Amino acid sequence: MAVRVNPKLITELAKYGADDVQNCYHCGNCSATCPFSKEPFVIPRRSMRYLQMGLEKSLRGDLEPWLCYYCGECSEQCPRGAEPGETMMSLRRWLTSRYDFTGLAGLFYRSTRAEIAALVLVALLTAAGLLAYGYIWGGGDLSAFDGGEGRRPFLPASAIHVFDWALGLGFLAVLLVNVARMWHFTMRSRRSPRVSAAAYLKHAVLLPVHFFSQKRWAECKETTPWKMHLGLMLGYVTMLVLVMFFLEPLQHGPGIRWEVHAFGYLATAGLLAGTIYALRGRLRKSRSSHRHSHGTDWVFLGLLLAVVATGVVLHLTHRLGYGTAANVTYLVHMMAVVPWLARYPFTKWSHLVYRPLAMYFAALQSEALTSRVRGQEQPAALARAA
Amino acid sequence: MAEPKIGVFICSCGTNISHVVDTEAVREQALVLPGVETARTYRYMCSNPGQEMIGAAVREHGLDRVVVAACSPRMHERTFRGACRAAGLNPYLFEMANIREQCSWVHADRPAATLKATALTRAAVFRVARNEPLDGLTAEMCPTTLVLGGGIAGLTAALELAEGGYPVVLVERSDRLGGNLARVDLTAPYLDSARDLLTERITRVRRHHNITVMLHSQLKALSGFVGNFTATVQTADGEAPRTIAFRLGNVVVATGYREFDASRITHYGWGKLPNVVTSFEFERMLRSGRIETKDGRPPRYAAIIHCVGSRSREFHGYCSRVCCMTALKYAQEIKSAVPDCYVSDLYIDMHAFGKGCEDFYKRGSEAKTLFLMYGKNEHPVIRRAPPGDDCEMLIEVDEQLSGERIEIPADLVVLMVGMEAREDSAEVAHLVNISQDKDGWFIESHPKLDPVATTTEGIYIAGTCAAPKDIPDTVAQARAAAGRILARIARGRIEIDGVFAEVHEERCSGCRICNELCPYSAIEFDSEKRRSHVIAAACKACGACAAACPSGAVKARHFTSEQVLAQVEGLLS
Repeated sequence: MAVRVNPKLITELAKYGADDVQNCYHCGNCSATCPFSKEPFVIPRRSMRYLQMGLEKSLRGDLEPWLCYYCGECSEQCPRGAEPGETMMSLRRWLTSRYDFTGLAGLFYRSTRAEIAALVLVALLTAAGLLAYGYIWGGGDLSAFDGGEGRRPFLPASAIHVFDWALGLGFLAVLLVNVARMWHFTMRSRRSPRVSAAAYLKHAVLLPVHFFSQKRWAECKETTPWKMHLGLMLGYVTMLVLVMFFLEPLQHGPGIRWEVHAFGYLATAGLLAGTIYALRGRLRKSRSSHRHSHGTDWVFLGLLLAVVATGVVLHLTHRLGYGTAANVTYLVHMMAVVPWLARYPFTKWSHLVYRPLAMYFAALQSEALTSRVRGQEQPAALARAA
Repeated sequence: MAEPKIGVFICSCGTNISHVVDTEAVREQALVLPGVETARTYRYMCSNPGQEMIGAAVREHGLDRVVVAACSPRMHERTFRGACRAAGLNPYLFEMANIREQCSWVHADRPAATLKATALTRAAVFRVARNEPLDGLTAEMCPTTLVLGGGIAGLTAALELAEGGYPVVLVERSDRLGGNLARVDLTAPYLDSARDLLTERITRVRRHHNITVMLHSQLKALSGFVGNFTATVQTADGEAPRTIAFRLGNVVVATGYREFDASRITHYGWGKLPNVVTSFEFERMLRSGRIETKDGRPPRYAAIIHCVGSRSREFHGYCSRVCCMTALKYAQEIKSAVPDCYVSDLYIDMHAFGKGCEDFYKRGSEAKTLFLMYGKNEHPVIRRAPPGDDCEMLIEVDEQLSGERIEIPADLVVLMVGMEAREDSAEVAHLVNISQDKDGWFIESHPKLDPVATTTEGIYIAGTCAAPKDIPDTVAQARAAAGRILARIARGRIEIDGVFAEVHEERCSGCRICNELCPYSAIEFDSEKRRSHVIAAACKACGACAAACPSGAVKARHFTSEQVLAQVEGLLS
């Protein structure tokens, strides 16, 4: 059965950042240089081809963009300036929008203005909500932390807890639906071999391994981006754990509780270093992976910097005893944190889940294809894949 | 006849010969041969000191025959004949023994190789003793040139010759000048207008006092030989059709090509599907400035199919060379005329070899042309799209770069029809006595070193009658052919090598076997004397006539039976 080419898709993808893919004439230099382009995966050439031809279904079921870490070697080697690295980046954005059932991801990627508007809206709603909560239940006193002598705190940790857990679980639910869609598109595609439940279980350990280590990235020629990213990611996860499970000791003060705050400091260092590294890289366009910046990349980094910076100021003011300043900063911090969390299932942040998942799925597909070859004559799917 | 005085000169060719052949032993063996006055070895016989050594020996010993045992005569026969001439000897009293290509380069056994070199040298000595002094001939060179074909090649050659100051007769079969190029709109990769290129040429040709243009005309017969041809041309240019004959010295064949008949590939539906057009039909659309389907709408999807009739097992195996860049030109022209139109380009391989062509290809990519690769010997299939689809036709093909079987939407399909030899090419080849390859293209004298001459002296080929080529190559060939002819005219008379066949009139029975046999049409039959006669200038000394003559009446000069038998005897004794 013939598949219909769609010459319009390439124009659509330009909005996601793939500006140069039409220049590719398939010499294959990119795949020859890519450390991850090994059977049965052809990275990045096959995805480039699907995109040029507009084979939307094949592209939607394609795991390969997630197997790329954008070291930029392919773009350096490309004789035609087709920017395969950036194309893979754009495809990750596009895939995120395909997985997302709400359509918000696509909207944000296609229009940075819409994303910023949504962020401002959420920030304002957060401020309004928290202020309303504080006035109605907290008695109107702007003391977020301990509330001072015998007073009820304006925003007690317990209340924030309910709030962040509700928010977190809500977004997790959305994300789970997206993950299910990702699984359906990739593992149930025409091209994918069928994988048994036993195999899913057998390799389940790959998920946490790839989540925490991102060890595949370390195989790239240059390892600095991996280290910086690892620091950023571990910092983020640590902070998330602190907020979700240790909010009370974290907010307690003004004395420092080292058993909690030590982790906070480490996490902050990782976050700050990672964010500044990425921002500086994008501003200077020093690495090929930083040469092209989509609007959402700036929003991502800007917001992250706002979250970290307000967190640092908040901590300082609180510990130094500037009560009112700390409380105002707290509100501002929340105005950054909530939109930040709210973006989770719809933006770049979701790669936190998609990437290890893709790595896991790729291993499953790879194994299924290899065992099939061993069992019988080479099946058509692998012949195509190879 | 007095005993000949032969000098033998043995070359070491650096060590090329002497590392396997004992040249000193060859020299000693040569010295004892009958008639040999002197035998010498030298490191490089072809060098100036080597040649001077031969001259000095001729004078010193009063030599009247020379043998050089060295490399192939193809390499240095001319050199040593010159050395003999300079020493006052007739150059045909010289013989060469090839002890390099036929001995030292192909053998490793030193004694055996030395034996062989000695035998080869002896053969040359025996032969040279029977060589006769020969003289070349000269003939008149008529300065008029006949140019066949009024396309860009013929126009260019005619102008070049006319500018050189010599008369040209330009014979064109159709009723207009310009050839196939006149059917083209813009040219790749610089997008200059074909009309501009041609108008300049045609205007100058039409006005030039040295050029006679004959439209509606055909060459009917060509007789004679280089410098002295007579052409018979039938012409309908003017009032009444008539036949005229005139003398000329050289011919430029620039008859061009015809396009492949797209209806031969039935699954493309050309002639049946209204919006499947050939590249020439599309050029007409471009010249009229309207890219549209038959019902007058701009296409939403356009598709271009390469290699129609070219590079296939079924039709022509060769590449037509200009279609790839022309297709890229179409893609860019469609994009600029109908910006919303999606253009697919179905190619086998993209041949972008010319100057500026790779950049042109890149521009095609940048214009978001969808390049799709299909396999050699496969054919995309074009069918009507089902009703309700957003396009008129669907093209189905196995796409090579993705490995997918795909269908491509199209409202307009352009078939890049290839070039093929004209239907009258065999007739033309026969008239001017040149050869054709299996595809019907005229064959050049040497594909690399002599690309515009043919094996028939005075007949030159230029442009697409020899093989598909683009405008720059065609123009270069036309100018090259003209340059070759101008150089020959400038020499005034034609020199004819002394080696040719002669008919001994008294022995000739007039059977005419040789007339038909001669591959160069060099033998005429004198119907009054009833004897055959060799035109020395046309003879290539192949010897076919001499071998075939039942009465032994044909003598191949410089290859007489006596000379050849002496050579054999020398080899075997």
